[in-house]
Amino acid sequence: MVAFIARRLMISAVLLLVGTFLAYVLIALSGDPLQDLRQDTGPDRENRIAARTELLDLDTPVVLRYFLWLGGAAKCLVPFAGECDLGQSIRGQDVTFLLSGAIGATLRLILVATVMAVFVGVVVGIVTALRQYSRLDYSATLASFVFVSLPLFWFAVLLKQYIAIDVNDWLGDPVVTVGTAVAVGLVTGLAWGGVIGGSRQRTLVSFGIGFVGGAGLLLLLSATGWFDSPGIGPIGVAVMALASAVGLTALLSGFGYRNVLYAALVMAVIGIVANLSLGAVLFDPGWWTLLLLLLLTVAVGVGVGYAMGGLQRRQAVQAAVWTGVLTGFAVVVDRMLSAWDNYAEAVNGRVVPTFGSETPNYDGGFWGNLLDSTTHLALPTLALILVSVATYSRYTRASMLEVMNQDYVRTARSKGLNERTVIIRHAFRNGLIPITTLIAFDVAGLLGGAVVTETVFGWQGMGRLFTTALTEVDPNPAMAFFVVTGAAAVTLNMLADIAYAYLDPRIRVS
Amino acid sequence: MSAPPPVSAQAQGMTVVARTQAQLVRRRFFRHRAAMSSLLLLVLILLLAVTSIGVGPIPGWWDKPYTGIGPVVDEGRPTLSVVPTFLGGDGLRWGEHPFGQENQGIDYFSLTMRGTQISVMIAFIVGLLGTFIGVAIGALAGYFRGWTETILMRLTDVIIILPLLALVAVLGRVAGNQGPVVLAVVIALFTWTGLARIVRGEFLSLREKEFIEAARAVGTPGHRIIRKHILPNTVGVIIVSATLAIAGAVLLETALSFLGFGVQPPDTSLGRLVSDYETSFATRPWLFWWPGVFILSIALTVNFIGDGLRDAFDPRQNKVRN
Amino acid sequence: MSTPTSEPPATDPRSLGSAGPDPQDVTAGRHAADAGSRRPAHTAVFGERRVGDEELLRVQDLAVDFPTDDGVVKAVRGVSYALHSGEVLGIVGESGSGKSVSSMAVMGLLPRNANISGTITFRGDDLLSMSAAARRSLRGRKIAMIFQDPMTALNPVHTIGSQLAEAVLSHELMPRRAATARAEEALAMVGIPQPRARLKNYPHEFSGGMRQRAIIAMAIINSPDVIIADEPTTALDVTVQTQILETLVEVKDQVGAAIVLITHDLGVVAGVAHRVLVMYAGKAVEMGSTDETYYRARMPYTAGLLGSIPAHDEVVGTRLRPIVGSPPSLIELPTGCSFSPRCPLATERCHSEEPALAGTDDPGHLAACHHWDQLAAVDDPSSFFRTESERAR
Repeated sequence: MVAFIARRLMISAVLLLVGTFLAYVLIALSGDPLQDLRQDTGPDRENRIAARTELLDLDTPVVLRYFLWLGGAAKCLVPFAGECDLGQSIRGQDVTFLLSGAIGATLRLILVATVMAVFVGVVVGIVTALRQYSRLDYSATLASFVFVSLPLFWFAVLLKQYIAIDVNDWLGDPVVTVGTAVAVGLVTGLAWGGVIGGSRQRTLVSFGIGFVGGAGLLLLLSATGWFDSPGIGPIGVAVMALASAVGLTALLSGFGYRNVLYAALVMAVIGIVANLSLGAVLFDPGWWTLLLLLLLTVAVGVGVGYAMGGLQRRQAVQAAVWTGVLTGFAVVVDRMLSAWDNYAEAVNGRVVPTFGSETPNYDGGFWGNLLDSTTHLALPTLALILVSVATYSRYTRASMLEVMNQDYVRTARSKGLNERTVIIRHAFRNGLIPITTLIAFDVAGLLGGAVVTETVFGWQGMGRLFTTALTEVDPNPAMAFFVVTGAAAVTLNMLADIAYAYLDPRIRVS
Repeated sequence: MSAPPPVSAQAQGMTVVARTQAQLVRRRFFRHRAAMSSLLLLVLILLLAVTSIGVGPIPGWWDKPYTGIGPVVDEGRPTLSVVPTFLGGDGLRWGEHPFGQENQGIDYFSLTMRGTQISVMIAFIVGLLGTFIGVAIGALAGYFRGWTETILMRLTDVIIILPLLALVAVLGRVAGNQGPVVLAVVIALFTWTGLARIVRGEFLSLREKEFIEAARAVGTPGHRIIRKHILPNTVGVIIVSATLAIAGAVLLETALSFLGFGVQPPDTSLGRLVSDYETSFATRPWLFWWPGVFILSIALTVNFIGDGLRDAFDPRQNKVRN
Repeated sequence: MSTPTSEPPATDPRSLGSAGPDPQDVTAGRHAADAGSRRPAHTAVFGERRVGDEELLRVQDLAVDFPTDDGVVKAVRGVSYALHSGEVLGIVGESGSGKSVSSMAVMGLLPRNANISGTITFRGDDLLSMSAAARRSLRGRKIAMIFQDPMTALNPVHTIGSQLAEAVLSHELMPRRAATARAEEALAMVGIPQPRARLKNYPHEFSGGMRQRAIIAMAIINSPDVIIADEPTTALDVTVQTQILETLVEVKDQVGAAIVLITHDLGVVAGVAHRVLVMYAGKAVEMGSTDETYYRARMPYTAGLLGSIPAHDEVVGTRLRPIVGSPPSLIELPTGCSFSPRCPLATERCHSEEPALAGTDDPGHLAACHHWDQLAAVDDPSSFFRTESERAR
């Protein structure tokens, strides 16, 4: 495995070198950085040309200039040395400085978009594969065709101009009409009926449950004024914790052997108690505190699962850990929403922002700022992930269908394994393997999409840095974009390869 | 398990199936409803775009030029109506300016048609040229192996890891100034990577097959084996990829033009139109809707056609269908 | 483990009183099963032929259809048989004859769109009307299956040990360690050296023959009553085939299971099966003891199959005698006997009237042929498939 990783690292480094070289040459070919000065009629024209030529080394041949640039860029590999040198912009600013202001927002966007797209896409893909040729499957197929055919920039503008304004207006006076509730209920009912499937009667019952659940919840929330000040509250957290425990048990082991359920429930109770007693710690934490709490949760989950698992220790540990993590997530969302009123006041009730990656000059503490980032992420993420969701769901569906037709799935069934074990242990694991490689490619696409999304939503991110640089024929900032995206793509590719090898023992050997 | 469906094919014998391969593909495609209706819609859109304003010196049936500035009538509202009178609409009406007028009074229907022409032309050039390059590189790498393969595939990897949109944007603006054809060629230089990988994969598996060994054994030269024996077996994959590449190219070019690194004035494209009139959204939303709807329709129909072709060439996916 | 009984009585009590041929006599040929004194010289014989009295599995008038785009595929059109403890029943036929589909129906592993009719009972319980959960609990525990292609039948991402252990754990609550111990035992039983070390291996680290042994181990790990082996040796090297068959018959006796052995290879059946069921185009066309069927075939299709196997003792230069034509489409079957288009004995009657599976000169030997008496009249029934010139010689 070590040799395997070392080889991957080597290949990645070579790819990145060639990639940056290619980008450097292309950027040099793409325009003359002195263009605007040459048309200048000012008196100090010659001086300014000379100064910029000096600044950007324009007298050096492109290939040599690349290696000079590379020499500076290589210093970035030395951690914490602060000697990173990616050249200067035409205005003489350090590119590393420009980058430091831009990279955070973009990476956040890409990370959230990737996680969301993988989650939604894979879930939709699995469900549609299991319900092949059902109405749900056809609807999902149609939707994915529309998603991949939708021009991102156009859809983003649409979201910005229509959805954001409408939602903000609605939130000014949030009342759900019966008509809206019925419409939403129909959608949730059809979706739930499609997911559960089975006989006509069972589908009808599922539809009813979905309809009442969707429409009823909406009307209830509206009647209780929830939309005025949304939140989960300790009771909501408790309900979600217990529901995760039951749901995860159903998914991981079923209820035949109760120990797994008990372990998950104990973990949920621990989470509920922690939520009530950790108020001081969670009042205004930092990311490190949250990370520490996450690790603690996992450790407690392992302990509980191990102690209570009995004959199904492995499943109990998994169920307990995931119950803990989901409960923790509910707690975080709860705390974040507690900042809602404060935040809504700060933005005059326009809670769905359409410009920038954060509200300027707003400081609502950790939770307020988190809420601020989240609302700013909402629309760009929604616009950005459509194509990826479609790609992942189609790919997962195809992969799952192929795996479900494999002989070893038939063997698993012939052993008398229940359907849950067949799907999770035998089909899903194998179907997942090709998805790992897809992630790496998709991120490159998302980074390209980020250029468009940032333009539409006015983010000061890497995409904006890049488009501005191209417009102004400013080679070094444009180059910085390629360095960061190239490095991200190469790293992800490597991680995907390693994950592939981890998931598929046949690759490990070679 | 002996799967029931192949029985009839088996009974007919392999030779019969081989002879009617093309017919089978055609039949399966014609039976694909989504693909057939998409094909019809696409042809209608293309006919509309080509015949209305004409091509080059040949005039079309629509007399308003896409460059003519004029008085703005009724705030430039579209005169097109499809809502019948008994439903409270204006009946079926084409009117003076079916898609409305833009800020300077240019007929927006003409402009949209012009944008469609340019966008579709670029998409087709990118699709075909990109396919050609992809097939050539994939075939060389897959057939000759060794150093050729290493270099070509590493080059492919390098281009794949860089965001395509950004890569094309770098050269796009320069190329855009040279006109849409040059722009299309430049885009095609970067969009062949996916197909090259697929074709190489097909070649790698095909070159191990007995009939290729046999051809080699009797001394058939390499280029002839590629052309006569391997390529015909990959034609399905190539056609499907080319179709999907065209859909991708429509979206890529429009996004590029939207960012300002694609088609440059005085030429226009559907993406350029969205970008130009994004700001008039609040006052004249139709200026934003028409080009978007056209991009979506073209991309969607081409994608559906691609899907139909894939089903037609690779019916294995439908084996379980009942 | 059940103790296999010794030789069954010469006359099966169940066939007493059944005067003459009984088309429903699903135990046909049992009483003659062990009387075989003449065996094909070119086939090996493994294991001891011990057949018990207890009826484990009974398939009655089983029919399976699949609706497809081109029409309804009638994959199985009425098959009946019974399987007794310790018995090996060979089901022989070409691909598409319905032999695999009928056994997948027994396992309950057919795709959801299959229409199944008839009855399948296991120890008297009707499998087709059982709840899904009850069926699942029989699968792998009481009725196990061995598949054709060992290269694809094992999950590549899990170790052999965990794949064996989960077969135990899905039916019994026990610590994983105990299940792994059972897995080790099962691997040892099928003759895999160093079973403990091998548990940690992945399937790709096993050779084809070893994988098939592992699959056999997986089938016997819960000491099932019935093992359905679907072409267990077809995908293997000829040299390994014999060893695998030998292993299969050995472990079957150790765990006291009966076997339904599905194959297209008559040689495989000849060596190990007590009785043979020949299928053609979804129907059983001949059933009887192995020796009866081999030496006194009463259905031209069986005779044709036998004629197309090369034998060691035949004169050099003798041609193989293939059956001309190919099996019919299961969507549009020929009228009358489905074999009639390929049959050298076919008459007008064969093209219009489908013969029932009925007794022949030996009441325990069933055949579905109007002209079985013509086959009975000659020494070598496969001679009908000789060409004119050959016959003249």
